Amino acid sequence: MGLIFIRTVIIFIGLLIIMRLMGKRQIGEMQPYELVITLIISELACIPMADNSIPLLFGIVSILTVFLLHQIVCLIDLNFISAKKVVSGTASVVLNKNGIDDTQLKKNNLDVSDLIESLRNAGYFSLDAVDYALYEAEGTFSALPKKDYQNLQTSLPVVIIDEGRFDVHNLKETAKDKTYFLNVLKEQGCANIKKVLVMTVDGNGKVYLQMKNQKYKVFNLHWKEQLW
Amino acid sequence: MIRTIISIAITFALIATLSAYEMWYVHTTFDLFREALVSLREKAEKETATVEDGRAVQLFWDKKKESLHVWLPHTALQEVDYQLDEAVGFIYTQSYDDAIPKIEVLIGLSEHIPMSYTFGIQNIF
Repeated sequence: MGLIFIRTVIIFIGLLIIMRLMGKRQIGEMQPYELVITLIISELACIPMADNSIPLLFGIVSILTVFLLHQIVCLIDLNFISAKKVVSGTASVVLNKNGIDDTQLKKNNLDVSDLIESLRNAGYFSLDAVDYALYEAEGTFSALPKKDYQNLQTSLPVVIIDEGRFDVHNLKETAKDKTYFLNVLKEQGCANIKKVLVMTVDGNGKVYLQMKNQKYKVFNLHWKEQLW
Repeated sequence: MIRTIISIAITFALIATLSAYEMWYVHTTFDLFREALVSLREKAEKETATVEDGRAVQLFWDKKKESLHVWLPHTALQEVDYQLDEAVGFIYTQSYDDAIPKIEVLIGLSEHIPMSYTFGIQNIF
């Protein structure tokens, strides 16, 4: 039984470390340790139940060990803030008043398109419509919109440049070519596309441009007509 | 918080008690079984072992096996069953040269089985 206890502790800690390293993308509404428990508890119960060559006590001791570890993690969560950060992680502010925080995104194994998708799920279609956006420790997403955010998203913005690369599919939607947007970048003082973190454009020609490690800019291309 | 601490203490105590009892029970049982096997081997070497001696070891094993099933994987115990049946069969036909290697295997199993389920780096990983 002691052996089962030690092995269960090792598997639990190992899975917890992996879940923390995988970042918020993999979690989704559960604390990392809760997901670890969900992953292993059903197997612990099923294997001794289905395989009658394994004593039932092996399953019972493993489940008791998981319960014990759960209680210990709960105790740590409630009483030790610094340990809680290690076990459960902290919220990550991925978008602030300066724009997208690329470092925070990378820490959580996310990219700009993941952030845009999360924003759309939350009802915000334009990157400049929100002041703050964050992923909670358990992976849920929330955003604080600007006061007049509804006026800022009158047309669907599409990503033209995502982390230094053109999105060819979206480029076709705009009926403009790469040279057009490279000229726009030059006008904004950017000669190298690799320095662009994200560039979106909506049907009215409103551009959201953010260079890596810089504050975002919003400007208009003054298109003669609304394109979509 | 007090309830959480109490639940941790109770669960830990339960697991620790079960572990200690399992280790003690499994080791003691296999030690006794090994002693019986060593005695049977000595008789087989002198060619004085009878089928009753073999049956006595089998009876001891069958009694202990029932409770060992709680603590050990059943496949490990089945291996002992097969080897013991064969050893007793050879003693019955007085084929002592064939019985002795079987008893040696059983002595080996009685040493290795408890060691496979106790604390040790080789068992954890």
